[in-house]
Amino acid sequence: MTKQKAVALLLSLMLLAPFGIAAPVCVKDDQGAELCLDHPAKRIATLSPGATELAFAAGAGDKVVAVVNYSDYPEAALKLPLVGNHTRIDLEALLALKPDLVITWRTGNPPAQMEMLRALGLPMFAIEPRTFEGVSKVIEQLSILAGTEKEGFAEAERFRKGIAVIAKQYRDAEPIPVFYQVWQTPLMTINDNHLIGKVIRLCGGVNVFGDMPRLVPRISAEVVLETDPHAIITGSVEGAEDNQLDRWKSYTGMTAVAKNNLFFVPASPISRPTPRLLEASRDICQRLDVARERE
Amino acid sequence: MSTLHTRDLIINVPGRADGFPLNLSVEPGQTWGVLGPNGAGKTTLLHTLAGLLPARTGRVVLNDAPLIELKRRDIARKLGLVFQERQDSFPATVMETALIGRHPWLSPWESEQADDQTRAQQALAALDVDHLSDRLLSTLSGGERQRVAIATLMTQNPDIWLLDEPTNHLDLHHQVKVMSLLRDQSDAGKAVFMCLHDLNLAARWCSHVLLLYPNGDACWGPADSMLKPSALEQLYNQKLVTVEADGAPVFVPVSAG
Amino acid sequence: MTRSLLVLGAISLAALILALAIGSVNIAPSELWAVIQGEGSALHRTLLLDLRLPRTLAAFATGGLLAVAGALMQVLLRNPLADPYVLGLSGGAAVGALLAMLTGMGAFVISGSAFAGAMLAMVLVFGLAHGTGSWTASRLLLTGVVVAAGWGAVITLMLAVTPSYKLPGMLYWLMGDVSYARTPWPALVVLIFAIAVILPLARNLNVLARGPMQAAALGVSVRPLEWTIYVLASLLTATAVTTAGSIGFVGLIVPHMLRLVLGNDQRIILPASALAGGTLLVLADTLARTVIAPEQLPVGVITALLGVPTFLYLLHRSR
Repeated sequence: MTKQKAVALLLSLMLLAPFGIAAPVCVKDDQGAELCLDHPAKRIATLSPGATELAFAAGAGDKVVAVVNYSDYPEAALKLPLVGNHTRIDLEALLALKPDLVITWRTGNPPAQMEMLRALGLPMFAIEPRTFEGVSKVIEQLSILAGTEKEGFAEAERFRKGIAVIAKQYRDAEPIPVFYQVWQTPLMTINDNHLIGKVIRLCGGVNVFGDMPRLVPRISAEVVLETDPHAIITGSVEGAEDNQLDRWKSYTGMTAVAKNNLFFVPASPISRPTPRLLEASRDICQRLDVARERE
Repeated sequence: MSTLHTRDLIINVPGRADGFPLNLSVEPGQTWGVLGPNGAGKTTLLHTLAGLLPARTGRVVLNDAPLIELKRRDIARKLGLVFQERQDSFPATVMETALIGRHPWLSPWESEQADDQTRAQQALAALDVDHLSDRLLSTLSGGERQRVAIATLMTQNPDIWLLDEPTNHLDLHHQVKVMSLLRDQSDAGKAVFMCLHDLNLAARWCSHVLLLYPNGDACWGPADSMLKPSALEQLYNQKLVTVEADGAPVFVPVSAG
Repeated sequence: MTRSLLVLGAISLAALILALAIGSVNIAPSELWAVIQGEGSALHRTLLLDLRLPRTLAAFATGGLLAVAGALMQVLLRNPLADPYVLGLSGGAAVGALLAMLTGMGAFVISGSAFAGAMLAMVLVFGLAHGTGSWTASRLLLTGVVVAAGWGAVITLMLAVTPSYKLPGMLYWLMGDVSYARTPWPALVVLIFAIAVILPLARNLNVLARGPMQAAALGVSVRPLEWTIYVLASLLTATAVTTAGSIGFVGLIVPHMLRLVLGNDQRIILPASALAGGTLLVLADTLARTVIAPEQLPVGVITALLGVPTFLYLLHRSR
């Protein structure tokens, strides 16, 4: 295409845009793979609870037509049709809803089923944000794909600013060793590559298992005792009793136990790569402040 | 009609030194009885003659061909065996069991024809078990199962009949019936070779006798020359008293003192 | 004899049609017919031709493979309780598949790895059982059971060290899942090939079932036949497990049920097993993907839930 023709095309597209004539949209995912749609998506399927939240955050909530189990935020998502579990999708139900964009979880969705969807020609966009900036980026990208740039970019910026404020606030905070318990049996935690690890660091905490090679290491109680964290945090599940930290109470020699720094924060905001990380971060930072007072 | 020879055959009884080499000739019209105490190797001999066990030395020859050079199927058309102990892990009816005797005669794609069925029927009738045709083998008594086994051999109809203690579990009436049937078969040209634990059956029904000693010694020949009390007493390590009944000797074990 | 096979064939066809019609989106027979003729809505075409047809055919082939393999194992080991996995084939396949998953390989490598694992298991048990000369069915069985336990230990190890996000995939594979099948053709081809090879040998199997000595006395070349069955059963099982993971109970239950109804003639039991096994798995898979839709159950769950009470009932009846 000659330069003149390209300019002419661009100009005409720009003129047409306000008339709502949909133009092609292209976005690169975090691994550099590019997805182009002929026009912004109108029917979006989100194959993880996090993706559902992010789609809504991008302003595309009313375009989501298919979700998987546990897509419980925002409340509007609860009414959306289910197509199975993120580990096992009901492909027929998904196809029947005729999505024109499928948001997948790179490591969480079953590769075999994803390959099948790809082979059927469905446009797929894989996400797996690992940083705060990554979360903002994904919200922006989803909003481009959905044609809701205004709301999406605004939300992304709000999140960025919120995180920056917290970062500034806690930049010089007293570092405090923290253990984050993901699961009780088997005993699992996270390293600093995980978003939860990044939240802890944001609040001036030092994740005692931050250097572990695995993203979600399985450790023993002995090792936890050895590292002697000053605060232990875990996620609290709605409707269930908060007893996941009871097992530590018998180890009165542990600093965290002695100072009664066993904290619960709501599980889903901290566990999902979504704008709710902002509230989750504030929660954790507050808890760490309490722990600092007790030092 | 076929003949089974052995050339310097020494059977392989694990742990036992070489026995006396056997040079037998089992010919059409003959009814052989193999006698000996437990552990003498009667079953081993029978299995070796059927080609199921390897000999220690020597050969078994079927007509003119050594057994080891023949295909199993060709052997099965000329030689059949009734075992002493049988495995019955899968349920089968009496008729199915008898029909299996036709296996060596059918090619892989053929299934049993009418005349195969007739043969099986006649064999079952000859052994007095045809009324049990549709019964499961496992529901029969020991004696009935024994007769079905013999009927299977009859359905197979080989030239050479090997039987391991064919009268086990049978009542007197059927013992006589079976022995007489075997004799009829050999009269018709078959060669019958069987292990017997009851020497009186050998005395009454066999034309030839093979004595197998526990240490591996053996002697064989026409029945009347083999069935000498002194040889038998030595064989069974048991004192015997001989009487005559109905034209044949009867040996009665008596206590020594 | 042919009558029972025809009846089974008709039932199989009915099951296949049912499976194609039912799902998260029900397709009426008239719409089915339209798609076959080349028309029908795009959604129905995709559902039927790209999703349901390959999956249903794969389920049929896998069920048939397992049932025939089970029947063969039962004759080989002269044990009515034998199933295709008793000699450790599924364990070897699982180790192969899980290893591929652990190292992040694609679907094709996972399948290939599973097949290779099963073949390795076959050779291993063959070699170990063959060891000191004369082997018997019970020696083979014992060797197989021990090797299977060994594989089990390796599988447990792999599950323990794998990163958490890979676990669901691995567990579903272990439970057996027909939705993994990318194409039904390898399984179907192997099934048809196996039936073609085994039918002429079927009467020999009848004789073999009476015991190896008896079989030899009736003209069966026992050793070659036993090794042929072993390799064939292994091939069938390996193909089945590679296609859909280790689905249990089909290989054990189907030959049994057929024997109760049709007797013990392998000439009927083997082809009947192929048809009945296929039908059973197609029906089980249909149930697995619809009973709590949109949640998807692995088909191995359904076959186990159906299989356990059925087996207990059969056991009770046979007394």
